[in-house]
Amino acid sequence: MKAREAPLISVRGLGRRFGTRWVVRDLSFVLMPGVILGLVGANGGGKTTTLRMLAGLTRPNEGEGSVWGRDIYRLDRQARRDIGYMSQRLSLYPELTVRENLAFRGALLPPPSRPTIDLAIERYGLSEVLDTRFDLLSGGWARRAQFAAVTLHSPRILLLDEPTAGLDVLTRQTIWHWLSEFADAGHGVIISTHDLAEAERCAYILHYADGRVNGPMPPAALVVEAGAASLEDAVIRLATRR
Amino acid sequence: MRASLRATIAISRVELLRLLRSPTSFTLLLLVPALQILLFGYAIRPTSAAVAVAIAGPPAGQADIARLARDAHLTLVAQNLRPGGARAMVEAGKASIGIELPIEPFAPVRAVIDASDPNLTAVAEQKVSAIYWQALAERNEVADIGPRLQIDRLFNLDARPDWAFLPALAGTIIMISMLMLGTLSMARERETGTWETLASLPVGRVALLAGKTLPLALVGTAQGVIVVGLSILLFDLPVRGSIAALLVLFPIFASAHLILGQALAARARTQLAALQGAIAFYLPAMLLSGFLYPFSTLPVWAQWLGNLFPLTHLIRAAREATLRGGDAGAVLLQGASIVMFLAVTLLAALAQYRSRLD
Repeated sequence: MKAREAPLISVRGLGRRFGTRWVVRDLSFVLMPGVILGLVGANGGGKTTTLRMLAGLTRPNEGEGSVWGRDIYRLDRQARRDIGYMSQRLSLYPELTVRENLAFRGALLPPPSRPTIDLAIERYGLSEVLDTRFDLLSGGWARRAQFAAVTLHSPRILLLDEPTAGLDVLTRQTIWHWLSEFADAGHGVIISTHDLAEAERCAYILHYADGRVNGPMPPAALVVEAGAASLEDAVIRLATRR
Repeated sequence: MRASLRATIAISRVELLRLLRSPTSFTLLLLVPALQILLFGYAIRPTSAAVAVAIAGPPAGQADIARLARDAHLTLVAQNLRPGGARAMVEAGKASIGIELPIEPFAPVRAVIDASDPNLTAVAEQKVSAIYWQALAERNEVADIGPRLQIDRLFNLDARPDWAFLPALAGTIIMISMLMLGTLSMARERETGTWETLASLPVGRVALLAGKTLPLALVGTAQGVIVVGLSILLFDLPVRGSIAALLVLFPIFASAHLILGQALAARARTQLAALQGAIAFYLPAMLLSGFLYPFSTLPVWAQWLGNLFPLTHLIRAAREATLRGGDAGAVLLQGASIVMFLAVTLLAALAQYRSRLD
């Protein structure tokens, strides 16, 4: 990671429990500009909770941290302007067309200028489905529209919860191309995924198991640490190791 | 045949297990009947104990009438009033029955009854007649010799039930639609994930709440206008008071229920749970507001409870604006409680929004 630049996200000892069960504990990492950080691990391991804490949707129970210089416990409106959060669900309004959904987003997030929306339409190739209701789109088109909505305000940080789940290989390739472009522009990306081939494309990964977090480290380092032959093998070994 | 029977049994078993393991559905099955049993068993008793009576006229005979009124389980709110005083109390809404005893020997006894609620009118007329005949019997008089009884119905001369029902219907329709709309719109946002996205955006809670409430509150207002308008056009509902003041109350009343619905849905995990909350609210509201049963015949504790519901006050305001001829002040006075309710729901919803998705 580039040491001289200010980190986009910095957290130390972050934890969150639901009831008495700790879903995430001892989470510490720094996200520098230009970096894609992958979150891998079993379902229920705490990846979504991590993304929600960073997006200001879930309050941590312990630890400290900052997102783009702002206290993670008090992420104000300005901080939210610097974050683009995409949930697992295709969470745009199903009854509205793609154009209406983007216009709504544009109205909430400065700058709501028309050129910005037009640019997003062109960038994500949405012109042919612009007047189609969101609930009538295929999974791939719906993700494209969601990407356009999430990046409309040019956020500094993208928090993506399994954005490629259920998509065909071409759409996944396209999405990774966008993510690389986004990171190359000096922004930061945190992406949760179950696809370990995708995880290998990340500069660093965090591995979640039993509420504990391993990393961040390059994917190859996790393979070495687990004494495995591949990242998939490493994740399986770590998940079954007690 | 056997396979089909086995399948039926298996499906029935799973259906039963799902029901037993879903606290929401199970509570829905228990809560609503329990609420009905309690309300119908304890609150909805057509008792006249809380029907207020005022007596005016010469002092002679007042004590007897007062005693008979109490014996008839009516509540005496004033006696020894000057002639016309009992009628004035009914007009002011402070008594449901006003008994004006005659000053002249052969003049009739006049009973002035608030007929803005026909259900109450029937109870009141029955009670007044009973008191009259009892008084005559105690004096060994008969109707031909003693004073006659003349009943004057105020506000609704023919005791038309539709005239009492229609203004109240406006409030009931707005309440149910707005609760449902608020509940379902928020529950749907939570289920589709758009709420999660909205919560992650730099949008203030007040803007969020206002944006979600205003358009639907206009729909609720339009509903109220349509109900009152059709009641006037089709059923000759008289407009004797300030209808403009009533129209001011409609959006406030609609907003209060919308926001309550949103707060319930923000709290609940599923649409079903949110709807259960809405039903648990509007069922007692309908029963205790004077919509289905005369408010003044409810037990005092039920009246106290009924006064907490905005519907109770909107029904009063609507009857003021139409039947009773209340001016803007009288109509808006009822709005004070609705505004207070709105403030409470607003705070509850904002608190829910603060917690966002936690």
